[in-house]
Amino acid sequence: MNFLQQAPRFLFFTGKGGVGKTSVACASAVHLADSGSKVLLVSTDPASNVGQVFGLDIGNRIAAVPAVSGLSALEIDPQAAAQAYRDRIVGPVKGLLPDNVVKGIEEQLSGACTTEIAAFDQFTGLLTDAELVAGYDHIVFDTAPTGHTIRLLQLPGAWSGFLEAGKGDASCLGPLAGLDKQRAQYKAAVDALADSTRTRLILVARAQQSTLREVARTHRELAEIGLRNQYLLINAILPAEQVADDPLAMAIHQREQTALANMPDVLAALPRDTVMLRPFNMVGLAALRHLLTGDGAGLAPAAQPCRPDAHPGLAELVEEIAQAGHGLIMLMGKGGVGKTTLAAAIAVDLARRGLPVHLTTSDPAAHLQETLAGALEQLTVSRIDPAEATERYRQQVLATKGARLDAQGRALLEEDLRSPCTEEIAVFQAFSRIIREAGRQFVVMDTAPTGHTLLLLDATGAYHREVARQMQPGIHYLTPMMQLQDSRQTKVLIATVAETTPVLEAANLQQDLRRAGIEPWAWIINNSISAAHATSPLLRQRASNELVEIAAVAKRHAPRYAVVPLLQDEPVGIARLQQLVGSDH
Amino acid sequence: MSSIQIFDPSLCCSSGVCGVDVDQQLVDVAAEIAWAQQSGAAIERFNLAQQPLAFAENPVVKAFLERSGAEGLPLVLVDGEIALTGRYPNRNELARWAALDTATDKPEAACCSGSRCC
Repeated sequence: MNFLQQAPRFLFFTGKGGVGKTSVACASAVHLADSGSKVLLVSTDPASNVGQVFGLDIGNRIAAVPAVSGLSALEIDPQAAAQAYRDRIVGPVKGLLPDNVVKGIEEQLSGACTTEIAAFDQFTGLLTDAELVAGYDHIVFDTAPTGHTIRLLQLPGAWSGFLEAGKGDASCLGPLAGLDKQRAQYKAAVDALADSTRTRLILVARAQQSTLREVARTHRELAEIGLRNQYLLINAILPAEQVADDPLAMAIHQREQTALANMPDVLAALPRDTVMLRPFNMVGLAALRHLLTGDGAGLAPAAQPCRPDAHPGLAELVEEIAQAGHGLIMLMGKGGVGKTTLAAAIAVDLARRGLPVHLTTSDPAAHLQETLAGALEQLTVSRIDPAEATERYRQQVLATKGARLDAQGRALLEEDLRSPCTEEIAVFQAFSRIIREAGRQFVVMDTAPTGHTLLLLDATGAYHREVARQMQPGIHYLTPMMQLQDSRQTKVLIATVAETTPVLEAANLQQDLRRAGIEPWAWIINNSISAAHATSPLLRQRASNELVEIAAVAKRHAPRYAVVPLLQDEPVGIARLQQLVGSDH
Repeated sequence: MSSIQIFDPSLCCSSGVCGVDVDQQLVDVAAEIAWAQQSGAAIERFNLAQQPLAFAENPVVKAFLERSGAEGLPLVLVDGEIALTGRYPNRNELARWAALDTATDKPEAACCSGSRCC
């Protein structure tokens, strides 16, 4: 493996949930320790199975791993770090201020940014405190901070206000006044990240077009702020010899090879490693030792799945949706789970029943609009370009608020406007104009704001609502959040794939929505191999791994659900979208 | 000199970037406060999301929150007494409380205060 050659002190693995970061990070740490180094493995995976892998309870303190000489491990729970931070700010006023006021403050501190920066706060000690990590040759992290977090910490303006003087300032860092380390320490941490003799970043991806596009973005963003020592690791590739007589495996193989051949140039230029899909479960030390090297011969293959249970398909969900005659259907979930395709499939199926449907998408590829526009009488398709909407919003803010700021203040505001919340808000503003149509027809959307954003938007809207009420007594005022909370008007569908981390992320999303008083209507498990007809042992292995996740969704998480099979061909065009729904009219 | 304290509602960031729209009120009041401070007024601002203890420890503010809730904010205290609620002060109000002379300080701006004028 190239990425383990002359490994520097710090190794960071980054990539979206479900690509196998934690497995690869664990395997790398074991490999380095086996080669005689002293290694500390740091996991921030919310679904961390590091302890399980090594058969011990790790938790938030450094623990030696007895089974591997030279290896220690530490688990950081970012959610717990964020909670501890919230408690520090809110704790002292609980019981002193009215409950709903305290709840409002907590919501302000419940965004993704808070979690992210709180986790980074925990990292800094490991990157800078020589004493804490003195004995280790390598420190392996199974996640990396985002460009947004690092840039914020690099900006001198971020420090001039709240963090140093304790005064409020216009920044996403503002709510993080409780960060308990000194500026010098954060600076040292950021410097360590940007030092290529000390830090290597390994971008972990699957061989999928959309994933590779996303990874290219991460690469550019982190390279710009100095993390130039980057390697690419393509995980879980289907080996050619497996495809011979399984048409589905063949189709996946070809799709993967096409994605690799067409990967963005910036990625193609990086040193690259590939890890094949393994015929065994990534559990236990023996399996980890075989992930990066060797073939796993002698490891027992996982049990072949018995015939999977029959699960409801998309057709059943659409049938129930159609009965209402109109309404707002929102697909929610992490990027890459197929929200756009699912939204299109639902819209097409509704339209084919003769119901008027407006499908609106933020799909950057825009192929939906091209393939579907005008194809069905009842179907209209529109598209919102997230980049364009965000840029317009950004420019508008800078022109108004930014006009009177000095250079430092303006730089800080610009960075705030690069936060993930900004894009979400900008896109949602664009969508909320279309939402109103849902009283007359179906509106199907492939994106939606998180519960956190909705709560913030609603809180800000409270003042305007009050004004409207006073000006015209009796007028009915409906905020987007009120509409989303009303289950007769809105159905929220959570999309995921049947793998551990994505299911956990979806469950967190559901939790977040419930905080905003929104109850998801159903879950959709997309790209399921167990719902397809795979014959190759590798795919059947993956199918059997899916079953436990599907059972968890069906029994624990979802009020109703559907399992959608992975198709041989990309579901593009009316006919294949119909195939995805699985209805037979 | 009177002391002016402004208690803001909880904002993710005081720029309002996280809000549904950048609030022009916030932009304007920031400029007015900067003007008044430069002219010598003693003004403090507190953000509910960031300094909740400042709200809880002030009996007047605490009682206000109990009565009107966070929706009633902003709240302005002058020498500890409620001077304004539900909206931000304009330049004339700030000047009156701080006993500043708007006319002599900035003669050309006397007819129209701040950015909303004319």
